[in-house]
Amino acid sequence: MIHLVRFKLSAYARSHRLFQPTIGLFAMLFVFYSTLAPPGKELPAYADSAGLLILVFAWAARGLLDTEPPTQRLISMTAAGRPGREIGAGLLAALTVNLGMAAIAVGLPLLHGFAAMPTPADLASGVALHGLGVSAGTALGALTSRPILASPAVSMLALLGGYLALLLISLTPAGHLAVPIMPWMRAANAGLLGEVLLPVSAATLFWTAASLLLYTRLRRLNP
Amino acid sequence: MLRFMRLSTVSFRYSRRGPWILRDVELTVRPGSVIEVTGRNGAGKSTLLRLMAGFVPPSQGSIADRPKVIGYAPDVFPVEQPFTVAAYLAHMSRIRGLSSSASTAGDLAERLNAAHLLDQPLGDLSKGSAQKIGLIQSLLAPPDLLILDEPFAGLDEQTRTELPVIIEEIAARGGTVVVSDHQNQLRHFPGADHWLVANGDVTVGARDSAAPPTAAPQDSPVPRDIPPPQDASTSRDTPGARHSPDVSKELSPPPRSPSESSSPQVVIEVIVDAGDADEVEQKLRADGYLTRRSS
Repeated sequence: MIHLVRFKLSAYARSHRLFQPTIGLFAMLFVFYSTLAPPGKELPAYADSAGLLILVFAWAARGLLDTEPPTQRLISMTAAGRPGREIGAGLLAALTVNLGMAAIAVGLPLLHGFAAMPTPADLASGVALHGLGVSAGTALGALTSRPILASPAVSMLALLGGYLALLLISLTPAGHLAVPIMPWMRAANAGLLGEVLLPVSAATLFWTAASLLLYTRLRRLNP
Repeated sequence: MLRFMRLSTVSFRYSRRGPWILRDVELTVRPGSVIEVTGRNGAGKSTLLRLMAGFVPPSQGSIADRPKVIGYAPDVFPVEQPFTVAAYLAHMSRIRGLSSSASTAGDLAERLNAAHLLDQPLGDLSKGSAQKIGLIQSLLAPPDLLILDEPFAGLDEQTRTELPVIIEEIAARGGTVVVSDHQNQLRHFPGADHWLVANGDVTVGARDSAAPPTAAPQDSPVPRDIPPPQDASTSRDTPGARHSPDVSKELSPPPRSPSESSSPQVVIEVIVDAGDADEVEQKLRADGYLTRRSS
């Protein structure tokens, strides 16, 4: 399956699709860190970055999964041996791209963005939050990709609408049960992230897993 | 050892409320067989191929003992990919776990008259050239099940002649070859089975055993396979009855359904330029009509 992942990454890298979310990533990082985060505010900055970059991660995942023409997906299924491998390879490739983007999002402010270096604990929490953002974004991007939503316009609207819905739901009392973007931002700003990180992670990973299962099921019916 | 692939009461529709494309299809596919699948546009040929390849699961029923190594050549190869032909084939070889990929792809390219295409970007290929690359990638690993969707469309004469030879080699090795073929290029293939997809059903015709070993050229001057109208209870594609001299029956359109088999039939003579004959004949065949050439 690793060769199929490489094939998908190679096609994505050679296409123009990589540039769009990359430009979006750097634009958002520029906005986040145009003024240096003051000492002690590194974790809130990371929390905001992880929550808002879900949109970029979803965009990148959608773009990668859209790169392969539909007929090529069928060819890849036979080449890989079974359809599940092609579906899994697509998700793995999207995850790889997003982990690279998350690494930039975590690493860039260390070079320019923080007035002081974060503590190791804050850095670890920042990495964990970006990991949650990557998982949620990859799942959202997969569910709005062309194999699921054939119309590019509908797909883009679903991606933006889906992200806004995630944000709005996480503002409600039920937010802890959804993907809790706003709760993790608030907790980080209040210095309480350590208390909520476990339930926040569990809720995010649960919804990610459910979304990816749905994506896999839909792809089996519509390869 | 390869086992018989079985389709048991397979039904398929694309959505829960959509129309049934195939209903209660029962088929057994023996290793080493060559199967020509024909039918009108939209009859469900490609759907049948997709089910056999495992791209989609049946809505009802089951498919058992599908061979492990499957080659698939689509009717339209997707050229909108940012690779050269050689790079693309190298990727496909690696995905299939092949070690001597370069030589395999190169050998196949030589056989299919595509060696000169290896350095070209996929996006620059013509339809026929792209079709060749689709065929090559499907043959990189010796397939136990080779599924070809309209493989002859756009191919040059050399490749059109070579492809049946390759199909014969795969079948001789025990592989199964299933070909959706509007153009009936395999109508004379020795030992080929013929499936007709129509009205959600698949009718299995008798095996062709008396024909010459290669596909007939498109400009064959002899009358072309013309099965007489048959009872609805029998196959509509019985090669043994193809050369009946009864022209008035031969030119009749095939019955669309059992209830229509006794409807009045007429013979229409169409005179076309010799250069257009192949195209017109293929279009009529694609629409399910029987044709015969008088010269």
